[in-house]
Amino acid sequence: MKCYTPVIYKGLSPCKPNAIKSAVLQSEQVQYVIKQLAKEMGESPDIIQEEATEILDEMGHRMQLGAVRFFAFTLSKIFKQLFQRVCVNEEGMQRLQHAIQEHPVVLLPSHRSYVDFLMLSYLLYTYDLALPVIAAGIDFLGMKIVGELLRRAGAFFMRRSFGGNRLYWAVFAEYVKTMLRSGYAPIEFFLEGTRSRTAKTLTPKFGLLSIVMEPFFKREVFDTYLVPISISYERILEESLYAYELLGVPKPKESTSGLLKARRILSDNFGTIHIYVGQPVSLRTLASGRINRCPYNLVPRHLPQKPSEDIQEFVSDVAYKMELLQIENMVLSPWVLVAAVLLQNLPAMEFELLIEKTLWLKGLTQTFGGFIEWPDNLCAKKAVLSGLTLHSNIASLVDGHVVLNDKGMEDGAVGEMVFRHALAVLMCATYRNQLLNVFVRPALVAIALQMAPSFRKEEVYSCFNFLRDVFSDEFIFFPGISLKDFEEGCFLLTKCDAIQTSQQEIYPTDKGSGTVSFLSAMFRPFVEGYQLIFRYLSKEMKEAFTEKQFIPGVRNFVFQLLEKGSTQCYEALSSDMQKNALSALVQLGAVKKKKMPSGFTYNVNQEAVSKILDMFDDSADAIPEHNEFLFPEYEILIEPEEPEFPADSTDDEQGAEDTSKGAKEQEELGAAGTADEAFQSLDEETLEAMAKHETEEEKIFQMFKKQVAAEPEQIIRYCRGGEGPLWVSGENRPEEKDIPNCVCGAKRIFEFQIMPQLLNHLQVDSLGESIDWGTLVVYTCADSCGGGSEYLEEFIWKQDYSMGCTL
Amino acid sequence: SRKGPSGAGQQRAGVSQCVPRQELLKWNGWGYNDSKFIFNKKGQAEFTGKRYRLGGMVLPTFKEWIEKTFGASLEHKTTSRASLNVNDVPPSIVNEEFLQDLRATKISYSQDAEDRVFRAHGHCLHEIFVLREGMFKRIPDIVVWPVCHEDVVKIVELACKHNLCIIPFGGGTSVSSALECPEEEKRTIVSLDTSQMNRILWIDEKNLTACVEAGIVGQDLEKQLAESGFCTGHEPDSMEFSSLGGWVATRASGMKKNIYGNIEDLVIHIKMVTPRGIVEKNCQVPRMSTGPDIHHFIMGSEGTLGVVTEVTIKIRPVPEYQKYGSVVFPNFERGVACLREVAKQRCAPASIRLVDNAQFQFGHALKPQVASIFTSFLDGLKKFYITKFKGFDPNILCVATLLFEGDREKVLQHEKQVYDIATKFGGLAAGEDNGQRGYMLTFVIAYLRDLGLDYYVIGESFETSVPWDRVLDLCRNVKERIVRECKEKGVQFAPLSTCRVTQTYDAGACVYFYFAFNYRGISDPIHVYEQIERAAREEILANGGSLSHHHGVGKLRKRWMKESISDVGLGMLRSVKEYVDPNNIFGNKNLL
Repeated sequence: MKCYTPVIYKGLSPCKPNAIKSAVLQSEQVQYVIKQLAKEMGESPDIIQEEATEILDEMGHRMQLGAVRFFAFTLSKIFKQLFQRVCVNEEGMQRLQHAIQEHPVVLLPSHRSYVDFLMLSYLLYTYDLALPVIAAGIDFLGMKIVGELLRRAGAFFMRRSFGGNRLYWAVFAEYVKTMLRSGYAPIEFFLEGTRSRTAKTLTPKFGLLSIVMEPFFKREVFDTYLVPISISYERILEESLYAYELLGVPKPKESTSGLLKARRILSDNFGTIHIYVGQPVSLRTLASGRINRCPYNLVPRHLPQKPSEDIQEFVSDVAYKMELLQIENMVLSPWVLVAAVLLQNLPAMEFELLIEKTLWLKGLTQTFGGFIEWPDNLCAKKAVLSGLTLHSNIASLVDGHVVLNDKGMEDGAVGEMVFRHALAVLMCATYRNQLLNVFVRPALVAIALQMAPSFRKEEVYSCFNFLRDVFSDEFIFFPGISLKDFEEGCFLLTKCDAIQTSQQEIYPTDKGSGTVSFLSAMFRPFVEGYQLIFRYLSKEMKEAFTEKQFIPGVRNFVFQLLEKGSTQCYEALSSDMQKNALSALVQLGAVKKKKMPSGFTYNVNQEAVSKILDMFDDSADAIPEHNEFLFPEYEILIEPEEPEFPADSTDDEQGAEDTSKGAKEQEELGAAGTADEAFQSLDEETLEAMAKHETEEEKIFQMFKKQVAAEPEQIIRYCRGGEGPLWVSGENRPEEKDIPNCVCGAKRIFEFQIMPQLLNHLQVDSLGESIDWGTLVVYTCADSCGGGSEYLEEFIWKQDYSMGCTL
Repeated sequence: SRKGPSGAGQQRAGVSQCVPRQELLKWNGWGYNDSKFIFNKKGQAEFTGKRYRLGGMVLPTFKEWIEKTFGASLEHKTTSRASLNVNDVPPSIVNEEFLQDLRATKISYSQDAEDRVFRAHGHCLHEIFVLREGMFKRIPDIVVWPVCHEDVVKIVELACKHNLCIIPFGGGTSVSSALECPEEEKRTIVSLDTSQMNRILWIDEKNLTACVEAGIVGQDLEKQLAESGFCTGHEPDSMEFSSLGGWVATRASGMKKNIYGNIEDLVIHIKMVTPRGIVEKNCQVPRMSTGPDIHHFIMGSEGTLGVVTEVTIKIRPVPEYQKYGSVVFPNFERGVACLREVAKQRCAPASIRLVDNAQFQFGHALKPQVASIFTSFLDGLKKFYITKFKGFDPNILCVATLLFEGDREKVLQHEKQVYDIATKFGGLAAGEDNGQRGYMLTFVIAYLRDLGLDYYVIGESFETSVPWDRVLDLCRNVKERIVRECKEKGVQFAPLSTCRVTQTYDAGACVYFYFAFNYRGISDPIHVYEQIERAAREEILANGGSLSHHHGVGKLRKRWMKESISDVGLGMLRSVKEYVDPNNIFGNKNLL
């Protein structure tokens, strides 16, 4: 038998699982809540203490080396049966080994299968590392023998929901923290909360993460390492189970007999597993400069304290960061590419074409930073073939064409056929989905390009932003950096020559049209699926409903459309997509979510939902509300200028001028008061020059003011070839020779001028800090050469307020 | 031997006591000229002079410790400038009208370069480093020696009249950059040295108080009071050099505060000269309810408001009996738990301190050569008993040192009570000797930095106060932060990063850190040092510790004041400053 002497945390004082339990029970934190509850409920603390003990017994692990050995032995047998290979990044294991000795470690693996934590524990055992304690769902306890075995192998169990139960929360949190603080063992849990049925990363849950981060916030530990771990399966053990679940065939309760049945799977082949242990991330480094320490200093540390907004935001950021790191290191198999291509070419695709397209997609994926494992540099044909062999349950090669295996019973009812096909599509989609988080940024830019009414950057961005909001639960985006995501998407598309960008515009290149349409086709199931679901909500849901009502309702709705053949979007049957779409609407404010005693209910704001639906159809009206690099958008009204001032406004104008003059004088006086020392040092000559200058300037500026006063809000004065611009100052007016001729040789003539008022509208009117002009005068070719739609260079003259004026 | 402006020279002749004192002290390091650590011809460490118990003793294991701990080597040595180069010293710029006025008051003064440099600094690492290798950009232009309260009134009046800046100077032991002259100060800087105001004005045996001039140095105060059978019991580690006025200005804390209290508990009355006039109370009572206590504007004002001239302080009869003691604990956690229990039962002896393992080892390295084989044998036996029989790991155990004071019977009773508590926490009595050596080390440890500086080792101490429940976390995290920062900043050798719990209170403790490292291979050691010190302070604050327990803020820790006492709190202090000293005559720029 293997000699197992794992490396452990340097600060570890060894103790038994039972010692941890009693430490938890005796802890100030738990005792505080017990006393509090006793007081509130008028019960004796002993009874509640009893309750706490029961909770702990239900929850706690009983790690025993014997059980671990037994597990390791059995697992090695089973794994050898199931999988061809398990690949691990060795340097990651070495880094982990260092990390475990240095600080408490939290392992954050991706969650695609039950195999995840078994495999990880087995791996750590094999590498002589401390075995983790694992937060597992309590449903495992239903499995009699296995549950107990898991417990002895280090799993501890948490109820799926315990939000309201303060005692449970206190005991659980303290249990986790006690193990973390003492460095007892690495703590392992899944940020995604549950196994992703779609192989897409699920949006993170924050509860456990904030528990394991708290000891650091309170400085009970010096630092904590968070280790993202990406586990990629060439073929997922539960693939068909997931597809059934997504289609609403209820999930079998975890039971030992279920597992025994699962043994039938043992004769099957599930390919390779890749485990990438990421760089341990120091929580201290992440938090440096972000966390205000005060709240923790002014309250005893054992009191339950609602985390501040700062902290909540930080926890959420860390969660997303860790998931993005998981995604970055997921390994993509050739089959993932095949699935992505195949799904766009149903019902059948020519084999050779499939190979060609797969190879093309491989290049694109690599450009986007995807991590592809192409076995032994196999030629494309062999790689595709081996994928087809491994996944022969999903697709097969028939007469030189690749088709989905959706036939089953030969001629069933229409409904049966739709179900079969949906099953096959969803299973296939599980593999394509593994690409999505790598592709999502450039793809959403590509879709936005097709949605936007023009190629203007701000319009494309506004569409992108909309899509990003709508799909915020579907794909993983780091919170709040929409613009950065957009820029990254544009950058990647530029990198693969699919688009070109100029200062103002983004447009697809001829060469890149294939890429752009491939990308939008890749995400079309989501765009269409969401539209279907939104349509269902806006039409059918007039009254408050629960999620339990919503899922079958929308499923039926989509099912009927599919039967009728009026949609091809099988993926809209997925309960995962349905839930995400609903939650997106909640976040967008189009659906109200209310907490009722029986659970959550939802209310649809029909108008808001149809507005969102309109956005999909026509996003021309989109006005970017909050935008970091674009100016706000306005409509320009064009009106001819009255030659004379309307009589009634003259007085007003005069008055305005008077007051403004008054204000100006006051200002000058004020300035003189403080700056008279500076004035003393000016010699007479300068003063005289200044005085002269002032009178001359005054005249032109007054004229400018008078003219503008008729329509004070004006931003553009247009009069092509007309009497010329309205200058703000006598200085820096161009002579005729200053205006260069057009490239065609013709003279350039005045066309229009941009007024300084525009600066106010653009909100760039902070003096000395933002751009500034007196007026911008545009001269264009007198012959209007180059009639086509291409752009021509024109001439602009910028005149500033002269120094005399600003004085 | 003194050079200086002839006029000033004559004036200097009037100063009788200050000259010997300044002459006795190192100009570029800590303490007395004759007391220092050296390596003798045999390469063994030795402490010179006869002032301390360690004086003249050979320390056989010290060299090995220093080499092991810092990776320092006796071959790599840097030496300080032998003496001050007068040409480097910024010139004294004093307006003649002021000098005339000053001469008319008959108050002694000097513009001599050495006198001015001596008062331009405290004892922060960077200040000592500057003395050894560079020069301050700004130093006082003139030093004045008032001999009584009235002299101070005259000086402050003159400063107001001529718009000068006054920086009060007591013992010069500041470790918060409080004495450094603000570089941008354009006015003449007057260093007001209080050392000549050093008399005990009266002793009131009925009320057990004494009125003392603020310039008196701690050890002189105790010596003189002892002649009448009294003491104040205020013993900060710097008591050989620091002054009563300095204690008041920084909110000092003494080793034996458990019996006698800190400075705020000891002071009955303060007289202070400010640009607004004299601030004092109308009576000398133990307590009064007359709005916020104005003493608390003065204590901790760090020379920003005025000069403390006279202080009435509580006195006690000299205790009949003193006894040292020590306890060994299996680890630091148990030790802290024991101190907490002692504090809870309010039975702390005059002093109780807990040093961590690194400091325990350090103390061991300073053990002098034993006189007889017998003591050595006994030592070995004790060691055997503690490490083998009791199962203590010499690399984890830690030691508490104790000092009991009072009448004999009560001390013995008290001792038993404390040892009983210690036993409950796995503590083991480790003898009087160990205790006494521990306290002796407190005084000589300050001399060690000068030795370190000769061998590329720089270091400093800093302190904080912290609630009991965070003591362990704070100690561990701060030490770890120091180690980590050193690594990040490119320090080649592992630093010494050690702490002791040095005071206990009902609600928390005062923790004292020592931190030193070998800076060979680093081009700008002081900058690196300051960055690490700053990180350590950030760590302390993040762990719920205070900005300072007794060293004060000065200019070194000003940046955290707002965070420490809030915007409004800072505004309250500012408005006091504005009223008392609207023209910023006391312009040392400390605190605010």
